[in-house]
Amino acid sequence: MYGFEAISHHNGWAMAIAGALIVMAGLSVLSFIISQLHRVVELIEGRGKKKLGRIPPEVDTAREAPQAAPLDADELKTRYAPLAEELGGTFKLTHLYEIAGAHDMPHIHLSIRSLRAAGVLVPEADGVFKWQQ
Amino acid sequence: MELLYEFWSNTGYYLVDPRNLVMIVVGCVFVYLAIAKEYEPLLLLPIGFGILVGNIPFFKGFGIGIYEPNSMLHYLYFGVTSGVYPSIVFLGLGAMTDFSSLLAMPRLMLLGAAAQMGIYVTLLGALGFGFMLNEASSIAIIGGADGPTSIFLTAKLAPHLIGPIAIAAYSYMALIPLIQPPIMRLLTTKKERVIHMPEMRPVSRLERLMFPVVGLILCCFLAPASIPLLGPFFFGNIMKESAVVDRLAKTASSAIIDTATIFLGFTVGASTQADVFLTPKSVGIFVLGAVAFSIATASGVLFAKIMNLCLKQKINPLLGAAGVSAVPGSAREVHLVGQKEDPSNYLLMHAMACNSSGVIGSAICAGILWSFNMM
Repeated sequence: MYGFEAISHHNGWAMAIAGALIVMAGLSVLSFIISQLHRVVELIEGRGKKKLGRIPPEVDTAREAPQAAPLDADELKTRYAPLAEELGGTFKLTHLYEIAGAHDMPHIHLSIRSLRAAGVLVPEADGVFKWQQ
Repeated sequence: MELLYEFWSNTGYYLVDPRNLVMIVVGCVFVYLAIAKEYEPLLLLPIGFGILVGNIPFFKGFGIGIYEPNSMLHYLYFGVTSGVYPSIVFLGLGAMTDFSSLLAMPRLMLLGAAAQMGIYVTLLGALGFGFMLNEASSIAIIGGADGPTSIFLTAKLAPHLIGPIAIAAYSYMALIPLIQPPIMRLLTTKKERVIHMPEMRPVSRLERLMFPVVGLILCCFLAPASIPLLGPFFFGNIMKESAVVDRLAKTASSAIIDTATIFLGFTVGASTQADVFLTPKSVGIFVLGAVAFSIATASGVLFAKIMNLCLKQKINPLLGAAGVSAVPGSAREVHLVGQKEDPSNYLLMHAMACNSSGVIGSAICAGILWSFNMM
């Protein structure tokens, strides 16, 4: 038995539709629930803090005062030039991203984008970039 | 002289069948692709060498071949036919997976669900081609692009097809760089491909700890037949995230998954004995597998475009292609295609979110198909 006849014989249409709907519904529900997990976490952590009461919370200075994004192109150029030098004449942006991460540079995406906009990072062929002195 | 003749009649040179030679060439191609092209070498090298081992002609009855009881290969193959290796691979996979990106952007999970549509379209195609329901279900799961899941379901429903289905599934996973990019480019405009995704919010440890428990309960209540895959998967993940059993998590994500991968790949390769493997059914499986994989990629991309109609903050539709569960191959490919259009576009983390939801989605689909076959 072949074709539509075989599909109908094995109840294929119903199975395909039901299967697709079940997996879509299941993952949608999971997606919705995990989108609410952070609220549950906030709730749990909020209660925890209330219980702690008088104990002063530890001040995470790094979080409270995030380092401002050095959006000034000249400053960025000064900071990123040694990294570009380390990577050689041409390099992939992923490598620059990785090395910047290793050096704990703040706002790497934003910085690389600014360097591109300022014409400091010049695209070459095959997705590699050149550091414009 | 008679002794020499008898010895000669037992050698592979005497017993060789042209079909064995065909399979040996296939095995050499796999080994070549793994070593020279580095296409999924962790899979293709064990499978390729397994194909060579499985296609050395031998005198049947000596307990040598993989299908002969009491042979060493037969015992190793038990891990495939019983579904043990896929479960162990899932344990390691869970211990390696970081769900932070998915937790930070849960809507990407829908792309993992959409990419499973390839499975159900292929189910219809395989039934239309004249395959029985159990065989069609096993072929359809290739669309999930998940080797262990394909092997697991096939071992349960159509064990006689494990060889061709496993080879098809792993071949298409290895060929992601050739199959997915043309489909992605065909279905998206340049403007869509350069969409930047927002940076992800930091995810707390408690969220990452809650996810495996919530995920296990929701998914396995829905499709209990997926417990053998999702149970170890989420267990591996909670070991990693708990950070209290680092030794166990490290072992699961290194030695254990590596051991299972070696034996899985090698024995699946060895199961492709020419007389069992080279049949018209295998050709049909390869054709349907390619269709399944392509439809899965396309449905993920198209669903992302549909989502964009309702979303203020648009999703890069390339991410839909990472909804198949070929981790991390398809995520890497999405990232590379995005970077070709705009080198400052970083899609890897977002693509990994889709990829990991694809793993969960394909395991649920395997459970659903298994349940349908039991009704």
